[in-house]
Amino acid sequence: MFKKTPMAAGVAAFATLLFAGGSAVADTGNGYAVDYTAMTPHELAEYLIFEANDGGGFNLSQEMQEGGTARDRMQQDELQIACSLIDNADPDPETAAAIREAAGESIVYPEGGIQLGDWERGRELAWSGFGYRVGHNYDDHDARPVGGTCYNCHQMATDRTGGNVGPNLTGYGKTRGTSEAVLKYAYDMIYNPHVYFPCTHMPRFGASGFLDDESIADIMAYMFDPESPVNE
Amino acid sequence: MLKKALLALPVAMALGATAHAEKPPEEVLQGLIDAIDSTYLTQSEMNIMMMPDNPALWVGMDGEDLFHTPRGPNNVSMEACDFGKGPGVLEGAYVEMPRYFEDTGKVMDLETRIVHCMTEVQGFDPDDPAVTRRHGSGSDHMKIQTYIAMQSNGMEWNNPLEHPLEQAMRDAGEVLFARRAGMSDFNCYACHGETGKRVRASQLPAVDVPEEWTKAISWPAHRVGHDNVRSSQHRVRGCYYQMRQPGMLAGSDASIALISYWTDLARGQPAVLPDMKR
Repeated sequence: MFKKTPMAAGVAAFATLLFAGGSAVADTGNGYAVDYTAMTPHELAEYLIFEANDGGGFNLSQEMQEGGTARDRMQQDELQIACSLIDNADPDPETAAAIREAAGESIVYPEGGIQLGDWERGRELAWSGFGYRVGHNYDDHDARPVGGTCYNCHQMATDRTGGNVGPNLTGYGKTRGTSEAVLKYAYDMIYNPHVYFPCTHMPRFGASGFLDDESIADIMAYMFDPESPVNE
Repeated sequence: MLKKALLALPVAMALGATAHAEKPPEEVLQGLIDAIDSTYLTQSEMNIMMMPDNPALWVGMDGEDLFHTPRGPNNVSMEACDFGKGPGVLEGAYVEMPRYFEDTGKVMDLETRIVHCMTEVQGFDPDDPAVTRRHGSGSDHMKIQTYIAMQSNGMEWNNPLEHPLEQAMRDAGEVLFARRAGMSDFNCYACHGETGKRVRASQLPAVDVPEEWTKAISWPAHRVGHDNVRSSQHRVRGCYYQMRQPGMLAGSDASIALISYWTDLARGQPAVLPDMKR
């Protein structure tokens, strides 16, 4: 469960089925290649992304930093489908339980246990919003390390302004200590937060490959090291 | 400050002849600020203060000239173009877009309709810079968009949904809005699902607070941080960029679906045109 699904293939077949057969605007009032009103909103959304405008509504041929193309990146995996709920609704309890279970199974722990790395590097990574952006201003991963974008949503040390989409993390290690359970919880939250908060808006930084082991260890050091400004 | 205010005076007077100007944009915004308690609406005192001197007003003035001047291989002005209320009728046209156009059989937003007018009525080649250059205060597009949009200042967003294609595009936009994908699993709710939220220092508008949402979608707006007037299409592109999803193609049906939905969310609220944003 919760793998990438070949959704676009199905949509393509569906669109072919609906092809209007060259009927003019004057006849049908429909200026599109297919009849948009014959699709469900979900079918139409997929069609607009992957098929409309001669090959999709996005620049789908662009190569992605993680490999593959933008077309691949726009494919949803099962978690993304389950959490794409209209009106930002919560998943039903059964789905939520399945999401938590799958998230738990996705988490891989470092050999030798969870380590704290270099908090100074972690400080810069927590601040950096660099990485995986594509389109008109592509992030070249050879030029800079991928950041964790933590400050976009979290206040951490108070010397820089963080967002408040997520909870305030100021004094994180100082108030919680560094017991095995506390470190595991923080690691899990970074790696795949859906294990505790199904359909959270926080990215799966470990499970998606957004951050590597070293960067996670460094960001955790920034959260827990007594010398880190987070714990002043 | 005084010098700027004096400069702005002739602009306001010159535009008064053509703009929908019962209330200037700063008063429309003030009405929203008075209606609710919102950190988003009040985040920049400086911008609120500068609204009467909004650089977008000058861009709109340039657009007025461009709109009414015969241009293109066919040497006709845009007065011959229908933006939904009949040829050359601009008052209230923008707050009723995107809409279905019978001549193309498509739902079109302001930008794609301007492209249609340039290529089909004025006869510009689709590769002409007048058509292809979509961004920046110096572009024909931003000048013309700003001019047309200003004729809807203070009017309520009311994009029609009577035609089945208008409804289909709005409904697909709702799905796109909620659709998570990419390296960060983000959808639009990640930033716009709750009021009072910030990304770093930037206050975010929430979809379920219509007084915030109408300002959020009030483009064209002068973006102070970019020092340029920006469009709805530019905003959509920027959001997908930050979401780590692929670049949305300008004027794609996907972009129009999304803009149809976000306009529907602001229905009944007055447009602030042109706006200033951080």
